[in-house]
Amino acid sequence: MPDLKKTRNFCIIAHIDHGKTTLSDRLLEATNTVEMRNMKEQLLDSMDLERERGITIKCHPVTLLYKAPDGEIWTLNLIDTPGHVDFSYEVSRSLAACEGALLLVDAAQGIEAQTVANCHLAMKQDMVIVPIINKIDLPGADIDHARSQLEEVLAIPGDEAVLASAKNGIGISDIFEAILARMPSPRWYDFPQARALVFDCVFDAFKGVICFVRIFSGSIRRGQQIVLMSDGTRTEVKEVGVFSPKMRPIDSLDPGSVGYIVTGIKEVADIRLGDTITLADAPAKEMLPGYQEVRPMVFAGLYPIDTSDYEKLKVSMAKLRLNDSAFVYQPESSVALGFGFRCGFLGLLHMEIVVERIRREYDLDIISTYPSVVYLVTKSDGEVVEVQNPVHLPDPSEIEQVEEPMIRATLHLPNEYIGDILALVMEKRGMVENTETIDAQRVMLTALLPLNEIVVDFNDRLKSITRGYGSMDYDFAEYQVSKLVKLDILVNGEQVDAFSSVVHTDKAAAKGRMLCAKLKEILPRQLFKVAIQAAVGSNVVARETIGALRKDVTAKCYGGDISRKRKLLEKQKEGKKRMKQIGKVAIPQEAFIDILKSTN
Amino acid sequence: MHVPFCARACDFCNFYQERPDRTGIQDYLAAMEREFALYPPARPFETVFWGGGTPGLLKAEDLRRLGRIIQNADTRHLREWTVEMAPGSVREDKLESLREMGVTRVSMGVQSFDDGLLERLGRPHTRRQVDQAIDLIRKLEFPNWNLDLMFALPGQTLTQWEADIRAAMEREPPHLSTYCLTFEEDTTLWVRLQKGQVHKRSEVEEAAFYERAWDLLASGGYGQYEVSNFARPGYSCIHNLNTWRMHEWLGYGPSASSQLGQRRWTNAHDLEAWATGVATARPARVDEVALTPNLLAQDCVVFGLRMNEGIDLCHLQKRYPDADWPALDTLLAQLVEEALIEVTEARWTLTRSGRLLADAIGSAVIGAMDADALAPAS
Ligand SMILES: Nc1nc2c(ncn2[C@@H]2O[C@H](COP(=O)(O)OP(=O)(O)O)[C@@H](O)[C@H]2O)c(=O)[nH]1
Ligand code: SF4
Repeated sequence: MPDLKKTRNFCIIAHIDHGKTTLSDRLLEATNTVEMRNMKEQLLDSMDLERERGITIKCHPVTLLYKAPDGEIWTLNLIDTPGHVDFSYEVSRSLAACEGALLLVDAAQGIEAQTVANCHLAMKQDMVIVPIINKIDLPGADIDHARSQLEEVLAIPGDEAVLASAKNGIGISDIFEAILARMPSPRWYDFPQARALVFDCVFDAFKGVICFVRIFSGSIRRGQQIVLMSDGTRTEVKEVGVFSPKMRPIDSLDPGSVGYIVTGIKEVADIRLGDTITLADAPAKEMLPGYQEVRPMVFAGLYPIDTSDYEKLKVSMAKLRLNDSAFVYQPESSVALGFGFRCGFLGLLHMEIVVERIRREYDLDIISTYPSVVYLVTKSDGEVVEVQNPVHLPDPSEIEQVEEPMIRATLHLPNEYIGDILALVMEKRGMVENTETIDAQRVMLTALLPLNEIVVDFNDRLKSITRGYGSMDYDFAEYQVSKLVKLDILVNGEQVDAFSSVVHTDKAAAKGRMLCAKLKEILPRQLFKVAIQAAVGSNVVARETIGALRKDVTAKCYGGDISRKRKLLEKQKEGKKRMKQIGKVAIPQEAFIDILKSTN
Repeated sequence: MHVPFCARACDFCNFYQERPDRTGIQDYLAAMEREFALYPPARPFETVFWGGGTPGLLKAEDLRRLGRIIQNADTRHLREWTVEMAPGSVREDKLESLREMGVTRVSMGVQSFDDGLLERLGRPHTRRQVDQAIDLIRKLEFPNWNLDLMFALPGQTLTQWEADIRAAMEREPPHLSTYCLTFEEDTTLWVRLQKGQVHKRSEVEEAAFYERAWDLLASGGYGQYEVSNFARPGYSCIHNLNTWRMHEWLGYGPSASSQLGQRRWTNAHDLEAWATGVATARPARVDEVALTPNLLAQDCVVFGLRMNEGIDLCHLQKRYPDADWPALDTLLAQLVEEALIEVTEARWTLTRSGRLLADAIGSAVIGAMDADALAPAS
């Protein structure tokens, strides 16, 4: 059993780019956890995609053996946290595995939305927060400003802040000292039964599902029967071990420690993050606090561009799901797009990541439909249905009311942009609930916004309006009744289901016009004249016409040219194969992608 | 028979051609003789076409040597023998030799009568040379001769195009071809297009050039028989009609194409590779395809529709009973409905607006006749 007094479990929370990865590197170096650094490619911040986007999804813990100035060896477990609002539940579970958090603030940037959001998550769990003002080497560093922001925004005494430059290795020993001195030793170790928190899990082709756990009380050993408390699943422990930093089997995981359990469970999908593991022989009655069922917030259809890739797509989704239990999917079909899957994601970023991974890792050309949120529709007969696909919105005559999910967003921005941001919030049907001055330059807005309005481009718009200085974080708030209608797009009178969306009545006409204009711009001209219409029910709210193709003929064509010509026509035909035939109109895949990307 | 030599590459041309040199030409001629001996036509042929490149670039004696290949073959059914010439290389001695060996038709790449436009195309001849060449062709009384014109050239106005057509008609060739300039990859013009030095014309402008030609030529008594080809009655190019009707042909020389039996192929676009292939009796061929009835049927429709005579569907259905004809029904009905095709008795022909869309219609035909199954096996 490790010496609890000399064990600390902590994580680093920060806004993107404030230096989390760099600081982690320094901590690894200082404790000679070199092996881990070499493994970084695969582990910390593992996937390329995540690195590109400056976020982390997978949290991989590391055990650092720190030799204090007095020669004592301490066990410090560093638990990595994901870095985006879409994954805030995952963040909260990683935090729950720790007693303390290093809160990184960029000395030049100051506090950002994610700093606040993550800090609040940590405070809610009674964690000890050690503020670190990073990047003090920067010419633009304003330490006093950062200190006063800490006090004003987060009510953290500014003089508690450790000053550091992760890049230049300044302040690293102060950080270790603060971890040792200020953070508490592992809590809840004396609970009578065994309890372990599952804060992540991965699938290993040889071992099966591996849960990353923080043991709070009791010990877990190989061969024991354990129970997943959320649903009572029983399984055998095949192996337990620690991250040192490679996974290393040991006999027993004891209170206060961070490690892994190889289970007999077949799929990651059967593991719920935040679940509590207890022993079947002497089970705990009460789970560790904070468990929630994660529910996808954003849905979209994913379709193979080449219809013959359907099976391949199915396989790749199953594989992705192996390591991403937040991602759900089920088969569906679309008139326009053929056979595909309706998928659920935590948020839009999660969706983008999944789509990108399918494209890159599985080399599949796919198209995604317009993302939708989950609407609660009360029908005239009183039945309440969940609608995740606009196409399935019942006929207006059958609808009593539609409720849409609202989120509560916290926006941080420089004062000068407040007018534009208020206008943006208005445009997105939001309501500002609170405005708070952070300091002379920055304000914090809290606004209630419909999720369907922010799903696509809110964050981008925020960034562009504030020239990158604004940031946002959000939480699901509630369902609210709203005047929503289904906007359909018809091409030569045929509805293109993939283009249907749910919009607020007041916005239907404008969005209809925009979609029609966009389609007119991107649809290639055809042999025939094409009419494009946007309609709510039978009411056409916008229309455009695309004139027929005038000339598409090559002049030269003699004997030797037959093969050339034939190839050319076949190439055109191949191009057509990548198009979807709606009635007699061929719509290229790119048009779907463009429309889905460019509109909201 | 493909003669792969040109004095210099024209800016718009991406045909396979080489700079001629004395030994190169002799080796080429020897290889032609050998290729013909190795793979002689299995039955008497009706037409001969010497294209290129610039066959007319060869010296009279070389032309005669090439001609003997034909003369020594079975010419019982020979009805037409065309030789392509560049205006700058037309000489009386060459024409005399051609005439003597039995050439019936000379085709000359004039492109334009406007020296300014010619220069911009990188065509190494002038209007004067064209007229001198025409005089010689007339003098030697070739039964049929053709002038090639190009349009939608960089900087060319519709009025200039009209002037070119009139200039051509004034010279009263029995046959005229008009080609819309295309930007082919690997040409000087393409590079200039990429650099933004020249611009492609809009679809609508090109259509106007086409239609202007069609109107003027018709009024001048030149009947259109294919998208780009016009002739006085009885002077159509039999060789080309034979190709578009998907009969059989044999190609000799690098880059020449053949269609025979169940196969279609093209000789390597490379003088050396082709010559080595011939020398070792292991022909260097590219784009070899097996001709299925369905493919031939598609090509009959696609290339048939480019001709003004159109297609006789009943006849084609009899010729290729196994092709996927039903798949074409919806498309044809739509095309008729949109007035892109018209039907008279058994013949389906493109309307004027349909002719301007022959490629789009062609790929739709191919698409319809070998559409892939849409639903996945799930
Ligand atoms: N000047 C300076 N740059 C730093 C410091 N720490 C991190 N950076 C830089 O800030 C950027 C983001 O750092 P990173 O560790 O990837 O941030 P993360 O997104 O929070 O993981 C990188 O370019 C780092 O090199 C620091 O102390 N000083
Ligand atoms: S257009 Fe004729 S002459 Fe000019 S390069 Fe091409 S083949 Fe040679």
